[in-house]
Amino acid sequence: MKNFRKLSGSFFRVALRREMAYRGTFLAGIVGQWISYGATFLGIYIMVSGFHVLGGWNGSEMMMLYGLATMSYAIGASFFFNFSSGLAGRIRSGEFDASLTKPIPPFLHEVFSAGYNVGYVSHFTVSLLIMAAALCSLSYVPDVKSILFLILAIVGASLIQAAALIAASTMSFFSVGSNPIAEFLLWDVKEFTNYPVTIFPKGIQFVLTFILPFAFMNFYPASVLLGKDIPEGYPAILPYLSPLVGMFVFALSILLWNWGLKYYKSTGS
Amino acid sequence: MTKYWIVFKKSLKSELAYRSAALWGILSAALGFLIQVFLWQALLGSGVRKDTSFPDMLLYVLINSFMLQLTRTDVAGIIENAMIDGTISMELLRPISYKGYMLAQTLGKNVYGSLTATLPVLGLSLFFLSGAVLPDGVHILLFLLSALLGIALMFEVTYLAGLLAFWLQRCWFIWFYLRGIRDIFGGTFVPIWFYPEFLEKLSYWLPFRYMTFEPINIFLMKTPASQAWVSLLAAFLWLAGLSFADQMVWRAATRKLTVNGG
Repeated sequence: MKNFRKLSGSFFRVALRREMAYRGTFLAGIVGQWISYGATFLGIYIMVSGFHVLGGWNGSEMMMLYGLATMSYAIGASFFFNFSSGLAGRIRSGEFDASLTKPIPPFLHEVFSAGYNVGYVSHFTVSLLIMAAALCSLSYVPDVKSILFLILAIVGASLIQAAALIAASTMSFFSVGSNPIAEFLLWDVKEFTNYPVTIFPKGIQFVLTFILPFAFMNFYPASVLLGKDIPEGYPAILPYLSPLVGMFVFALSILLWNWGLKYYKSTGS
Repeated sequence: MTKYWIVFKKSLKSELAYRSAALWGILSAALGFLIQVFLWQALLGSGVRKDTSFPDMLLYVLINSFMLQLTRTDVAGIIENAMIDGTISMELLRPISYKGYMLAQTLGKNVYGSLTATLPVLGLSLFFLSGAVLPDGVHILLFLLSALLGIALMFEVTYLAGLLAFWLQRCWFIWFYLRGIRDIFGGTFVPIWFYPEFLEKLSYWLPFRYMTFEPINIFLMKTPASQAWVSLLAAFLWLAGLSFADQMVWRAATRKLTVNGG
């Protein structure tokens, strides 16, 4: 365990140094992300405020929904984005083979050597700001229980985001070309999470809850905190399970990845 | 002109090689469209807000996403890569305008994907579009003109911003600025009809609203034919002004460019 901490510490320092080599680019990138995510958020806010309410959620409550999604992505992706998006490239170049010869599991070595992505500090800050503003404008009075739940929910949501990234990268063991399934899973399907799932038809609610459980990333946690309705007929305990769902799908995604690894054939370069 | 046509065809052909990518593009477009359908159904239902009904919104989403996809390009990234591997020197030697080359390449790359993505969605939307009021001939003509200007303007802004690559070490972030600002001031994410007043007024001072929002206004006959010349003229003036600016920037860029190896 001590070794593990030392190892992750040194891998982290390398990642930070690599990122800071282009300091100007790094800062410009952070501001760019603020503008880009800020625009999406502003759009959703304008839209919902203009209509006062969307599926029972007002503008400030929608901010909470968006804030949770962005923050969990910031945390999940800072550990797994490089890993996920770079895997195909590392397989193609043959670098991946090095991970198979190390005295730690290939998955861990890949995660460490792909490196922590410091750039997500921009998503993190913007989401923190959005959530703080949302809770202020709702004059939300938090108690110990809800703060504890919020923290656990963010951890769970980050694990769901991480799981999506890990699962998407598994495709690279089968084909190192472009990965449309990953794009689809990570961008197109996740767009649902910008809005409360209750505005979608039953079938989509089911998929987002039980098949691709993105609703546990922000909708269910936010519905607990803000006391919102969940889809009709779903057990009342469901939203409270968000942190557990996160752990479950994270474990599942690692199993999937290791299963994919069995089918890996080196490119031999 | 034939030179650009060849670039267009080559770029289209290389895109046709990835048939399965188009399939995912269709799926992605259909999903994105469905999200918008449910979203606006929840917001508008069968009602009308700010003179806008549910079918109006669907037409907005269709036209907007088609135009955005048709002009989607990463000029900055292309220039960046060409500078890193040195191919920029080859490209500058060609007897062809770099801007025209980029435009032909962009349209060739996107025309297949945006058509295959839009047509199924258009089919899908027929289920929801029963109450839509379609424009008459005059408005369609004005819309086509306005959309053409909008497409040119969108490319122009992307190209101009992309030229910054000549001065920056890395430029993957230019796209984020561009998309954010375009979404806020162009009404490409949420239409400007629903904007608060100050933001709406602000949008008149920037070129972004003439990209997709004004053409759609003409298509939906929110802008009557007699008024259409205002936005057409504004789009044209922006296009002319920015074209002049990009020539200045281009001249400065090629003067400072040093190619290492290649």
